[in-house]
This record gives sequence, structure tokens and C-alpha cells, in this order.
Amino acid sequence: MASTVKQSRRPGWLTRPVVLVVLTAFTLLVLAPFLVVALNAFKTPAEYASNGPLSLPGGLHLQGIVDFWYRVDFGEKLWNSFLISASVAVLAIVISVLNAYAIGIGRLRGRLAFLMFFLLANLLPQEALVYPLYYLSKLVGLYNTRLAVIIILTAIQAAFGTYLLSSVFRDFPRQLLEAAALDGAGKWRVLWRVVVPTNWPTLSVLFTFFFIWTWNEFFLPLIFLISNDNQTVPVALGVLQGDRMMDATTTSASALLGIVPAVLFFLIFQRTLTRGVMAGAVK
Amino acid sequence: MNRSSKTGATRKTGAVATALVAVAALGLSACGADADDSGDGKSLRLWHFEGANSAMGLAWAEAIKQFEASHPGVKVTYEEKGFEQIRQNAGMILNSDQGPDILEYNKGNASAGLLSKQGLLTDLTAEAGKRGWDKAISPSVATTSKYDQAGIMGGDKWYGVPNYGEYVMVYYNQDLFDKYQLKVPTTLAEFESVMDTFVQNKVTPLSVGGAEYPAQQIFYELALSKANRSFVDDYQLYKNKVNFTGPELTYGANTFADWVRKGYLGKDSAGIKAEDMGVAFSQGKYPILISGSWWFGRFSDEIKNFKWGTFLFPGNTLQPGSGGNLWVVPTSSKNKQLAYDFIDITMKPEIQNLLGNSGGVPLAADPAAISNPKAKELIENFNKLNSSDGLAFYPDWPAPGYYDVLVAGMQNLINGSKKPEQVLDEIAKPYNDNLASIGK
Amino acid sequence: MVNTLTRARPAAAGRGRSRRDRARRSRTDRGYLVFLIPGLLLFLAVIVVPLLMNIGISFTRWQGIGTPEWIGLENYDRLLHDANFWTSFRNIIFIILAMAVLPTLLGLFLAAVLFDYVAKRIGPRTASVFRSGLYLPQVLPVAVTGIVWGWILHPGYGALNQILDRIGLGSLAHNWLGDPKYALWSVMAVMVWFQLGYPIVMFMSGLQRVDPELYEAADLDGAGWWQRFTRIAVHLIKPEIYVVLVTTTIAALKIFGQIFVLTRGGPGNSTLVPSYFAYQNFFEKANAGYGSAIATVLTVIIVALTYVFLRLQTRDERRDGS
Repeated sequence: MASTVKQSRRPGWLTRPVVLVVLTAFTLLVLAPFLVVALNAFKTPAEYASNGPLSLPGGLHLQGIVDFWYRVDFGEKLWNSFLISASVAVLAIVISVLNAYAIGIGRLRGRLAFLMFFLLANLLPQEALVYPLYYLSKLVGLYNTRLAVIIILTAIQAAFGTYLLSSVFRDFPRQLLEAAALDGAGKWRVLWRVVVPTNWPTLSVLFTFFFIWTWNEFFLPLIFLISNDNQTVPVALGVLQGDRMMDATTTSASALLGIVPAVLFFLIFQRTLTRGVMAGAVK
Repeated sequence: MNRSSKTGATRKTGAVATALVAVAALGLSACGADADDSGDGKSLRLWHFEGANSAMGLAWAEAIKQFEASHPGVKVTYEEKGFEQIRQNAGMILNSDQGPDILEYNKGNASAGLLSKQGLLTDLTAEAGKRGWDKAISPSVATTSKYDQAGIMGGDKWYGVPNYGEYVMVYYNQDLFDKYQLKVPTTLAEFESVMDTFVQNKVTPLSVGGAEYPAQQIFYELALSKANRSFVDDYQLYKNKVNFTGPELTYGANTFADWVRKGYLGKDSAGIKAEDMGVAFSQGKYPILISGSWWFGRFSDEIKNFKWGTFLFPGNTLQPGSGGNLWVVPTSSKNKQLAYDFIDITMKPEIQNLLGNSGGVPLAADPAAISNPKAKELIENFNKLNSSDGLAFYPDWPAPGYYDVLVAGMQNLINGSKKPEQVLDEIAKPYNDNLASIGK
Repeated sequence: MVNTLTRARPAAAGRGRSRRDRARRSRTDRGYLVFLIPGLLLFLAVIVVPLLMNIGISFTRWQGIGTPEWIGLENYDRLLHDANFWTSFRNIIFIILAMAVLPTLLGLFLAAVLFDYVAKRIGPRTASVFRSGLYLPQVLPVAVTGIVWGWILHPGYGALNQILDRIGLGSLAHNWLGDPKYALWSVMAVMVWFQLGYPIVMFMSGLQRVDPELYEAADLDGAGWWQRFTRIAVHLIKPEIYVVLVTTTIAALKIFGQIFVLTRGGPGNSTLVPSYFAYQNFFEKANAGYGSAIATVLTVIIVALTYVFLRLQTRDERRDGS
């Protein structure tokens, strides 16, 4: 792709290193907080107490990380977080695609009203939902289940998905739809055989967003997952914050454990981001 | 874009998506089957939020062991909880069938008091009498265990049992005191002259966390230096209306502002969290820290580079302090008898001594069994306060959400952005609003 | 189904605006409504019913448990006279600036540099490394964000003040989170840091759609890099710009976690925001009725603003569609 681009006529031999240095410095600045976390995760509590959070650790002190892992049964928390995030991402995409197919391609009357309706999930401050959802989930026996969190977060994430996909699908080339229709395909088949495949890049970006957003969700899991064996990683990080005590080195260790899976996931999927959120349209 | 590579990618993404749908389906089916092991007398579900290495954590782990030994066939299912999670959700959790059989909970009107008023906690009065808890726990500590119908502490019914006490004191860096030839002060005037010496030597004497609870506890200490028990009863138990422009609180606010002006505490301490305050003291950056007994165990473990000691806030007969967090038994508990048995074990001398030797302040320990001299001093100081009715609770207790009001007020004093009178006005209003809303 | 679809669409896709509009208006296809059913049901249960319940609660005095007591508009009356409520709305304007406006502008610029310059002159891999790096703050759990920034902005040992000291700018060192003069600005800076990656990712992916031929044509016309960027790129990724602006503005209005971990609304309410104010009432003061009233007002404002945004976007899309 890069080879097809014509070289600019202006020389600018100086621009290249300058841009590179400035960008690198800026990116390192943005990443500095991650380094601080890593720094403290490997310290002993005594080192932290005598030298503060910004000193270098005297050695690799892995005990904090190991202790935290066993203390909260971190493997179980990872599985819960993964289960919830993956389920929400998949379900939210399915709901978003269905909604957007009707709104964006079906061009329903009152598109704006429908969009506003679905966006409501994203607009409501979460505190407003807590008490009502608590009573509703108790009513149907879903309080303290991961399913409750999955259902609620699916709606919230699907709001964004519906909004974004509706706008992408609006620009979907009509020729493709019409060609498929001439071949005798029904709406259902057009959706799965034509619309969804051509929009994979957008859907995979959505998947990444949904997964990470759900992974980091704190407030709703805190309220709906009260048993330890249902809890997610961010909620487990909360056990370190005591009434009047906080153990900073263990917090860093746990933070590192909390970041690593999300970063890994992001790195695995980040190449999908290259392909574009709205790259669905075929030239 | 290259068509063939794109379809290849599509196929791969398709496979990934199929796998993920499978995971999701698995998740959905697994989610419904949350075990509901309830009241068969075979298990006790217990929650608390103390770290495993803290005095309480150690003592309670031992109590669980003893409980299982004396109750063969009963398993204790312990879950470590986050403080924030319990604080925020206790009402919702206990109002469902998913709660524990027994849990540690915060004392005070806005916490245990509110839950007792909402009918979510079991009345323990009969058990407390039968098992002698009401004898083991002194009346001033028991204030936070007993609530009235409106959920106000100092009432007539037991709703919780504390295992330990806590109080605010002065921690000092002995090496720095020696360096400037300073002695432990016994009056407020001596205390101020100690701090003056530090200021003259360009050392900020007080490590203060103005973003959280510590600043308001200093303010309260100062107010208490002019107060008697009836002020505390008025302020905390609403016996009479509190005059926010009266001598106690006025002295507290003015002196606090004075201390800022004289440089006893840094102007930048408004944004400091309690954690950082403690760390700064243990690094030897400040010679004095005024805060609670909850730091004691940690300082014992972590301060290696200098000698340190404690003394009670000089000249005060009243100190901020109270019984510790409570064991409460939810109304929805399915194993109440087992829960009572467990509380009983936590009050036994072995457990209480262990708590004391681990840096806590036990309520019913045998002082002779405490080996560490510093810990002994800590416990003796508490017993002294306790027997002289010197526990004055904490300034943020009287109204729900008052903590934030006081933090904001103290930050304004530290920053000098408001005058003491203005701050007193500001903190009077929510206090009186609360009185009105509970009909006092 | 097949028949309706073929009937609904004219054989040749009309690009003309009038024809498209007419098609939409006269032949709206009801067959598509079926696809909305799962979504509608889900949203009804999870969003609409709770929203109505919340509005109901806002007319009561209620502690979250037990029987609510109907008090009519009292909570709303109290809200109007509550200075904290107004402070929280003044602060939220600054937060919108930091979470929506600045990241969008900065994100546009950085996305263009990365896509247009770094990817083409240095290599697409380098560009994607930078993009990943800048996106990472979004991945950091909020609780951790609070702790780490607390360390960096600490007035005593904080990295920022130490660095300022070391380069001889010690006079610029401040008590970043503890002084009401600077706390809001510090929170804003953290929010820009947190939010920047999102627009960069969105815009860079949008730029992929831009036809390279358009650029070459512009090059031939002698347009500079900046002109090419503002005239072609910004215009073509308008959908992404709208999406980013709408979602970040909503996120700003709802901001809670970062305030909770950084300042808890302090010092002296100087960083109080509506969501945290509602939270205080819901959970710290056991004042669910008042909390619901705050949340309801906030919801109304967010819905109204979003509606305006969407109207603008729809109008813009129609204009561009011709």
C-alpha cells in the first residue's frame, strides 16, 4: 500500500527524525504511568515505605504478585472476567447488527427516534439504574449471577454499537443489496451473507472495544456480583482498599495483574483496528 | 485492498467468532447454576474486609480454626471482601437471600445504625446478656454496638459486637525528637512549643492527609481539648442542639487555622491521602503524625530506619476513638446460632491476646499475656481512656455523608480559602439538615 | 420476503437525493421491523423500565430499602436551591472540554500525522506501534488510574513536581490535586491523557477509507499537506468525528469513576460532578430519592444534548448524500 503513494516533491529530510523524536517522547510520556505501576509491583512493602513510589526497586520482588494471586484466587477472577467480557462483546454485536440492519439498511421511518431510544442505554448515568435493576434482578432470580451483568452490559454496549453501525450501514452500497435480492436472497440471508461479511473489519473493532470496556467495568459488577466466586478482576482489585488502609505495593502488583490481560488482548486484536471502523463500504 | 487476502482474513475471523459464540453460550448456561448452599447447620458463610496480615485478620483466622474444631462437621466459608463493596452495597446484599450468615460491618449511625433501622440486622440483646458480651465490653465501647429505633447509636438494643477498640494518638519520630533535644509533651502548650522548634529548624512537624480523614480528626482533637462529655453527647447522640459557634468548635477551627499559619502542617497537605501521610512519616520525612491506632501494626512492620513511639494527644481527657467494626448477624442469616457461637469464640482470651500481640487493641485481653512492650503501652493507653470514659468517637459520624463535608471544610482551612467562621457555618448546615430529617 | 425486497428497491441505485428520499418515505419496508424485536425487548427490560422506576423514585423520600414515601416535587425544589448541584454542572463544562473537545482536536491532528506521514514515510508498523501506545491508557482499569496519578501529582514526592524542580521550574510546582485552583485543571489533564487514544484509533481507521487518488489529485493541484488534510481528510471522516464527539460528550457528562478515584469531588467541591453528586446521595447518604432526582435531571440534559447532536449529524449526512 505504501509503495503506491507518490513521494512528495518537498525534501524535508529533517522532518522525519524530528517527527519521530517528538512522537516517541510524547508516547513515552503517555505510557509513563504504566512504568510507575510496573516499578512498584516488584517492590517490597518496606522498600516502598522507606523510598516512596518513584524509586527503583532493589530487586525483583515477586512475592506481592504471588500473594495477591492466591489471596483472591486470581485465576477464577480472570475466567469470570473473560467469560463476561467475551459474552457481552459477542451478544452486543449481534444485537447491534440486528438493530442497525433495520435502522441503517431498512431505513425505518423515525430513524432518529429509534436511535435515540437505543442510545438511552448509553445516556443514562449508571447510578440511576442501580436500584431499579437490583429489584428487577431479584424479582427474576438473577441477583448475584454473572448472567445479570452480561444482560445489562450487553444492552449498554449495544447502544453504542447500534449507533455506530446504523451510520456505517447507511452508506452500505445499495447495488450489493439489490444484486443479492435479485439472486433470490431473503433479508435474513442478505444480512448474514452480504452485510455482515463485508463489515467484518468494523465488527472486529467493535468487538475489541466492547471487550475492553466490559473488562474494565467496575460499578455494575461491584453491585451485582457479590459472591467472590462470581467476581471480576476490577472488583477483586478493590479488596486491597481497606477501611483506612491501603497496601500500595500489593495494589501495584494487582494492578499489573489487572492490566496484563487487557493489554495482551488489545495487542492481539490491535491489528484489526488497522482495517477500520467504517471500512465496510466496498469501493 | 487485496480481495483474496481479505476473504482469508474473513474466514479466520469467522472461526474466531464461532469460537467466541460457543464461549458465550457456555457462559450463559454456566451462569444460571449458582450454588445456593443454605441453612443446613453445616456451613457458616462469613465475610470480613481485613487484610490477612492485619491484627484482626490473624486473630479471626485463628477464630475460624477454633470454631471448626469445636463444631465438627461445620465448614466456615470465608470470603474476603473489599471495604468499598460492603460499605456501598450492604443494604442491597442483606436485603436479598445472597448475603452471608455473619459479617464485619462499620459501626456508626450511617452504617450499622441505618441497617438496624431498616430491619436488616438481628437484635443481639438476648445473646449479649446470655453470653456475657455486655460485661466484657465497657459501656463507652458498647455505645457503637447499641442502637435505638431510629438507628442512633447509644440506644438500648445490641446489633453488633466489636472485638477491638481504636483511638487517635500521636506517633513521633524519636530520633528527630532527640536531634533537637525535645521531650514528649504533656500539655497542649508544650506540644505547640515542640512543633515551634521544628518549624524554626525548617522541619514541617505534622504529616497530614488533608484529602481524607486525618485533618478532621486533628480538628476534632482540638475541639475536644475544650470540651466535656456532654458536648460529645450533644454532637454525637443529639442529646441537645450543638452550637457551631460555641467555644469548642470555634477553638477547634481557629487553632487548626493557626497551626496552618504557623507552619505546623504543610500548605500542600490538602491533597494528600492518608496512605501517603503514613508513608511520609515512615520515611522519616515528618517527625509527628496524629492518627489512629490502625497504623500501629503497619508502622511496627515497616519503620526500620528510626526509633518511634506514641503518646496521647497532650492535655485531652477526651480522644477520638471508639469500639472497632462490628460483627453483625443479618436478619436473613440462615445459621444464626452458629454465628453467635463464632462471635463468642472471638471474645475468648486466646483470640483477644493474639489480636493484642499482632498490633491490635483487644477489648478483653489479659495484659500479662501481651509480650511486646510497645503493644502493651498501646493497649494500656486504650484501657485508660476506656475506663475514664474518654472515647469521643469520630467527627464525621453524626450525619450520613458528613465525611465529605468535613474533608471539604478542612481543605478550605488548609488552603486558607475560607475563614474559620465560614467553615464552621459550612459544616453546621448539613449537620442541622440531618437533625431535621431525623426529626430531632 | 424475497418479493418485498425486490419490489422495494428500484433496479438502478439512484444517487440523486430526491429519488432516495422518495424511496425512503414511500416504501419504508416493514419487513425490517422484525430485526428490531430482540433489541427492543432487551432495552425495554434493562433500560426503559428502570428509567421509569428511577423517575418514580425521584418523587419520593426513600433510603433504598423499605417503603418509599411520596413527596411530589420536593426533591426537585431542593435541587434548584442546592449550590453543590450548580457547582457540579459548572465543573462538567470543563470536563467536556477535556474529554470531548481537546481529545477530538488533538486526536485529529495526531491521527493525520500518524496515518499520512509516519505510515507513508516511515512505515505502517511504526504508525501502529504509536497508535497502540497512545491507546493503552484506555485499557488501564480506572482504580489503577487513580492510584498512579495520585503518585505522579503528589505535592511532596510526586514525579511532576520533582521534574519541575530539577529543570529549574520549581516555582511552577503546585499541589495539583489538593489546591482548588488547580484540582480541576489537573483532573482535566488526566482526562485528556485517558481519552486521547480513542479518537486516534477511530480517526485512523476512518482515514483508510479515503481514496488515495483524491490525495494524488490534490498533490497535483499543489495542495500542501495541511490543506490536503483539512480539505479532504476531515471532510471524509466526518461520520467518525460525529461518533467520537457524541460518545465522548456523553461519557464526559456521565463521568464518575475517574473523579471517584482522583479527588472524590474535592478539594472543597471544586471537582464535584453530577454523577458523583448523585452517587453520594444514593450510597453515602442513603438518600435514594434525591439521588434519583439528580440522575433524572442529568439524564434529561444528556438526552437533549444528544438529540441536538444527532439532528445535526442527520442533516449533515443528508446534505452530503446528494
